[in-house]
Amino acid sequence: MRTARRRSLVAVSALVLVAACSGGGSITDSNDTTTTVASGGSTGDTAGTPDTLAPTTTVALDTLPDCPTDALAAADGPVEISFWHGMSSALGDEVTRLTDAYNASQDKVKVSLVQGSYEETADNYFQASADNRPDLVQLPEYQVQAMIDTASTVPVGKCIGASGLDTSPFLSAAMDAYATAGVQWAMPFNISNPVLFYNKRAFEAAGLDPNTPPASLEELQAFSKQIVDSGASKYGLALESGFDSGGGWYVEQWFCKAGEFYADNDNGRTNRATKVLYDNATGVDLLTFLQGMLNDGTAVDVGDNSQSGYDNLLKLADQVEPAAMTINTSASLGPVLQVLGTGQFPNIDAGDVGVGPMPGPEGKPGALIGGAALWVVDSGDDARTAAAWDFLTYLTGAQQQSEWAVATGYVPNRSDALELEPYKGTVAADPRFAVAYQQLLDTPAVPTSAGPVLGPLRQVRTVLANAVAAIFDGADVTATLTDAANQANGLIAEYNARN
Amino acid sequence: MNRRLRDVPWAIAMLLPSLALVAVWTVYPLMRAIQKGHFRCDVTGKKCTDQGWSRYVDVFQSDEFQHALGVSIKLMLLTVPTGLVLGVGLAVLADKHLRGIGIFRTIFSSTIATSVAVASLVWFVLLQPQIGVLADMFSDWFPVLKNPGLLNDAGTALLAVALSSIWANLGFTFIIVTAALQSVPRDLYESAFVDGAGSMRRFTNVTIPMIAPTLLFVGVVLTTRALQTYGEIALLTGGGPNPQKPTTTIPYLIYGRNSIISTDIGTKSAAAVLLFLLSLVLALVQFRGLEKRVHYGS
Repeated sequence: MRTARRRSLVAVSALVLVAACSGGGSITDSNDTTTTVASGGSTGDTAGTPDTLAPTTTVALDTLPDCPTDALAAADGPVEISFWHGMSSALGDEVTRLTDAYNASQDKVKVSLVQGSYEETADNYFQASADNRPDLVQLPEYQVQAMIDTASTVPVGKCIGASGLDTSPFLSAAMDAYATAGVQWAMPFNISNPVLFYNKRAFEAAGLDPNTPPASLEELQAFSKQIVDSGASKYGLALESGFDSGGGWYVEQWFCKAGEFYADNDNGRTNRATKVLYDNATGVDLLTFLQGMLNDGTAVDVGDNSQSGYDNLLKLADQVEPAAMTINTSASLGPVLQVLGTGQFPNIDAGDVGVGPMPGPEGKPGALIGGAALWVVDSGDDARTAAAWDFLTYLTGAQQQSEWAVATGYVPNRSDALELEPYKGTVAADPRFAVAYQQLLDTPAVPTSAGPVLGPLRQVRTVLANAVAAIFDGADVTATLTDAANQANGLIAEYNARN
Repeated sequence: MNRRLRDVPWAIAMLLPSLALVAVWTVYPLMRAIQKGHFRCDVTGKKCTDQGWSRYVDVFQSDEFQHALGVSIKLMLLTVPTGLVLGVGLAVLADKHLRGIGIFRTIFSSTIATSVAVASLVWFVLLQPQIGVLADMFSDWFPVLKNPGLLNDAGTALLAVALSSIWANLGFTFIIVTAALQSVPRDLYESAFVDGAGSMRRFTNVTIPMIAPTLLFVGVVLTTRALQTYGEIALLTGGGPNPQKPTTTIPYLIYGRNSIISTDIGTKSAAAVLLFLLSLVLALVQFRGLEKRVHYGS
């Protein structure tokens, strides 16, 4: 009995080992031949791709749910709605404060809040049945296509039309980020974009003007070289390869600055995207350039920043081998100044921090919208839809955006918020807070200024981040990007086949 | 006979609460995971395609799973023997009737009161390459601490995670082994002493056999913990550094936010079921293989 059992165990272990030795391929590979066609070569055309893989996203507006914004007036008694958001700690406190103020300001609508991370909010939303969904939900920019595909929301474009809301003060780039195929799906709420952080003290020591940050990639390299050669700092630039920063999101930003699409079908905004384009000449040039800066010692790679979110910024405060510049989201400016304000770092304090636009190819301006937007959920209940819209217009109102921007460090989503206190006074006292907003204003109004919408954008970023890390380690740029693009295209085909 | 039959309803009634809990929190999720493992899903988790049982084979054979399996086994080999030896060593050291030994026992066992999150954060801050204490103090001798950092270097990241994990689990091993040492009858030591056995001999021929069941238990628990290591990875390395991903264990592949399958509930389920099978096989092997050599006393 016992030996028999022992033998079966040995057999199981042997099976495990045999299985371990055979097979291979990626966990994301498809077994399905139809999807493999679309995932093939990045340079090949998509003529062989079945039409069903790229259904049009051009939706006739009248097939989408209506937004009866006048239903609130007809409702008797307060309409109770729920808002799911992804803002934590200090940001969450500010959402709570604004919501309390809204609830106190009128008696038609009563909002209750549910807070989680972006990922938790998205997972909960996707998994919830129609009855359990909130009336309003905040989701980040990489969820746009997935949210459209749930077909569970009222496009805010319909609400704008029904209510006659004047959208002219809103940043057009921010509005466009949440629009595809002519439909305004969601309303931008919290906006950020990457900016250059640099140590003015190192600039001075290297003989550079501390008030003139590098505008182009070429200047970024030249400045770095001068900083390193003069001994002002061990490195010029600190690079990192997190999927929501240097390894993924910034590449999308650089494509915007270069005036190029990151994915086909105009970044997936005229039609569903079928492939990424980052393995083209622009992508190869860009990453070859960054690899070159690492090779000649003007830049340093601090690894995957998604762990702390601050490794690259801390490199500016490093006492042994500091870097003078790095790129980070504008939303980190508040915390950075706060931490440096404690005076615990001898080589940089809050006053030494310079902020400039993110340097790009040939110094061309441009930035994609990061952050999150508000989606009105289709509850089928007119009064609740109208109430959600009413609350949304409050959160995106000029005064609220002015307060929100100061409390959080996000960029206001509308120009009239700039003229209101407390934002006006804050920017006047510290112009560094205006850089991210100005970067958006300077962004040309062209189709490439609206970022990619891809169903599996989060995974696509993860794949690219891995490739960027390999390239930073010295891997061949063209081959690595081609491999990554193939894997990303497989993920896109896999997604499209299901939607 | 009658008496037994009469007890059955009572037995069922008394077992019901725990059976219900096991059914709801263990059996049902396991069944759901096995069922979901057939599918590949998009980010919404609602749109899935059925790939059948062969999906388990595909997942098992994929480069990512094989890599994670290798990492998990490496981590197990790094943490279990070292943790066991250190735990037993400390327990033997503290198993003396000396003045103030209680202080040392408290210190040695203190990590059991430290959650994985706290332990990981302590190490994360210590090892932080730019401003961490260890990096600034020892970078002259160990440049890897500074550039790129122990957790950011593909060659040392797993070692650093193992270090944190061993440290965090030491308190558990220490307490269990200390309890076992105290239950060893003193007269065994005395007779061994009378027979002329030295302290080393007493340790190998009395202590070890007498605490062997405890060592087996601790070994199995540490092995299972090593295979389930997630918190340390999530907080210290995020499965990285990329692109080698030397710390992407199977649990991190399943749950990690940087994992390539983080948005695919189907593939995650398949990987989780495979991890369950792996732990099951390993635990069985340990029990069957070691049980015979373990002396449970009379």
